[in-house]
Amino acid sequence: MKHVVFGLSLAVLLLCAVTSVSGQHTLAAKFDLTKQLSLKGTVTQIDWSNPYVHIIMKVPGNPRPVIWAVELESAILLTKNGWKEADLLLGESITVQGFAARDGSKQISGNSVVRASNGKKVYSGTNGTLPAHAVASGPVPRWPSGQPRLGPPAGQTGYWGNPSRTSLLQDGAKMEMDAYGLLKNIADADKVAPMQKWARDLYEYRQRNFLKDDPMYLACKPPGGPRQFEQIYGFQFVENPDFNRIFVLLGGGNRNRRVIYTDGRPQVGQINGDADNPLYYGRSVSHWEGDTLSVDTKGFNEKFWFDNGGLPHTEQLHLIEKFTRTDMKTMKYEVTIDDPGAYTKTWTSNWTFEWIPGEETPYFLCQDNRP
Amino acid sequence: MRIHTNNNAFVLTAACVLILTSGIVGLGQDAPAPAGQQGQQGQQGQRGQGQRGGQRGPAAPAAPTPRRPDGKPWIGSVPGQQPGRWNGGPTTLPLNMLDKIPFQPWARAVYDQRQIDQFEPHTRCKASGVSRQFSTPYGTEFVDVPDLQRIYIMDMGGPNSYRIIYMDGRSHPANLTPTNYGHSIGHWEGDTLVVETIGLNEKFWIDTRGTPHTEKLKFTERFTRTDMNTLQYQATIEDPGAYTAPWTTTVFSMRWAPNVDPFEYVCQDNNHGPELMLGSQSEIDNTKFFVP
Repeated sequence: MKHVVFGLSLAVLLLCAVTSVSGQHTLAAKFDLTKQLSLKGTVTQIDWSNPYVHIIMKVPGNPRPVIWAVELESAILLTKNGWKEADLLLGESITVQGFAARDGSKQISGNSVVRASNGKKVYSGTNGTLPAHAVASGPVPRWPSGQPRLGPPAGQTGYWGNPSRTSLLQDGAKMEMDAYGLLKNIADADKVAPMQKWARDLYEYRQRNFLKDDPMYLACKPPGGPRQFEQIYGFQFVENPDFNRIFVLLGGGNRNRRVIYTDGRPQVGQINGDADNPLYYGRSVSHWEGDTLSVDTKGFNEKFWFDNGGLPHTEQLHLIEKFTRTDMKTMKYEVTIDDPGAYTKTWTSNWTFEWIPGEETPYFLCQDNRP
Repeated sequence: MRIHTNNNAFVLTAACVLILTSGIVGLGQDAPAPAGQQGQQGQQGQRGQGQRGGQRGPAAPAAPTPRRPDGKPWIGSVPGQQPGRWNGGPTTLPLNMLDKIPFQPWARAVYDQRQIDQFEPHTRCKASGVSRQFSTPYGTEFVDVPDLQRIYIMDMGGPNSYRIIYMDGRSHPANLTPTNYGHSIGHWEGDTLVVETIGLNEKFWIDTRGTPHTEKLKFTERFTRTDMNTLQYQATIEDPGAYTAPWTTTVFSMRWAPNVDPFEYVCQDNNHGPELMLGSQSEIDNTKFFVP
């Protein structure tokens, strides 16, 4: 292991703060942020896929070389930053700096990958934000009826991205929380939402484990509820007035679809009753209140996390989501969370999305890099 | 009793094996339907080799091809009516013509092996594009949005995702990154919707039998709604990576199922092979995938 250098410094923790939220798991869930490594080796394989691009590298060792996997940003973010797979070649020598995997497997987070041939960084990340893109402007686009269009104007392309929040926090609360939804101070847990004791304990457990048990990370389970709007790869509204419904087509999370009915139908249960078949996205009905679409959803299961940060919910979850497009560029999202199974009272959170004009919703499949 | 049967991937696999080994058909009865769909599922079923569903039970009332104001057929649901979807798509693209298909030798060997080893990516919740979208027993909804010049194809029996067909006359972009759905562009030739797809990766099968393909595949689909209840489907496979010449399938026929809303079916809900998705990562070598 003479080519492996362990180190610990405050800089490590700073690195943590600017690392991507592009993928499925928090950096700390998989990697030990106190174990910094530097590896030199040659590239033997590149797996250019989501949620993480991997470089497979051979590191000289005794008695034989060791194969390491280097985990990078998603293919989407690397591509958006101008990188392509061919920018690194098989057989090239590279130096990688990053953190070692917690489980001791030969995996390293690729905080920096430098080509020996020119001393320059390759496949460098983006700090988890979408790079420069066109900025939308103008008033709210409308249907001939005067109703706001939630999706693109006729014949145009675009999607909703850049959520201003990526984890739930009750309105009025203030604390330091990173882009994954990890609290800086665990003592702030009580202020995040009005949790019942068991829910608070579970939330703290999830936080202390860096959200490593997240079903979206472990098994590509859908990000139902408000979490579908916490993903940086965004979503699209496809309004289908011919059939009184709106499809929410996700870019991030799992490229799932959800249906919201707009025909005033009642909130009826599943054919065999809600308890028989609770859903990841629930049953959604809606109506317009002026320029605001108000969506009422029930019938959730408990097999997913409805928040990036790991706040719990139960099958009693009932959501009211209000969508208000305030101009071409901006959508306001206000969610009311009513879950007497997990919270002591109804609470609210809100954030905004930005319209990314001229671009297709990113193509992200959680299952992509799995066999 | 609580029923969690959103994912029938495992059941499907088992059912496929059954079909292969004993010729038993009738998957609609063998596989439990999602709870919200049990009422209607019993009326579907499967007949014949290579096509599923829609051939049993009362047919929807006969009617001529429904048309949009511009005279083109509505390829999916018809405004003013309840939504519906197509059942009984192809499951075996080489149906009735296996010996005539210009396989390259390796591709034929892979095809033969896959008849024994049904290890289809679909059963591990991979999104499956082109013709594979029509191969599940749960049907496929076409959402035609002329306003956006797009048609969305949503298969009910997969990872709850969607495929986009651009109808605005654009061409394929250069340097496509291969994906499970690829890049689909469509146009009308008379009453036939012609969809051409490239940019497909090799992480899924194009039918349940494992007819091979490579990233060089250009897949052309012809959809013709000959009346209210019938959608004819024919595909042309152009893949110099796996075949020595282009070949065109027989004409398959899908049946209209009226008055059914799309439902939530999440493949990952009940995955009986989680280790296939997750792996057990004790050692890193070049033979394993890196997960998650």
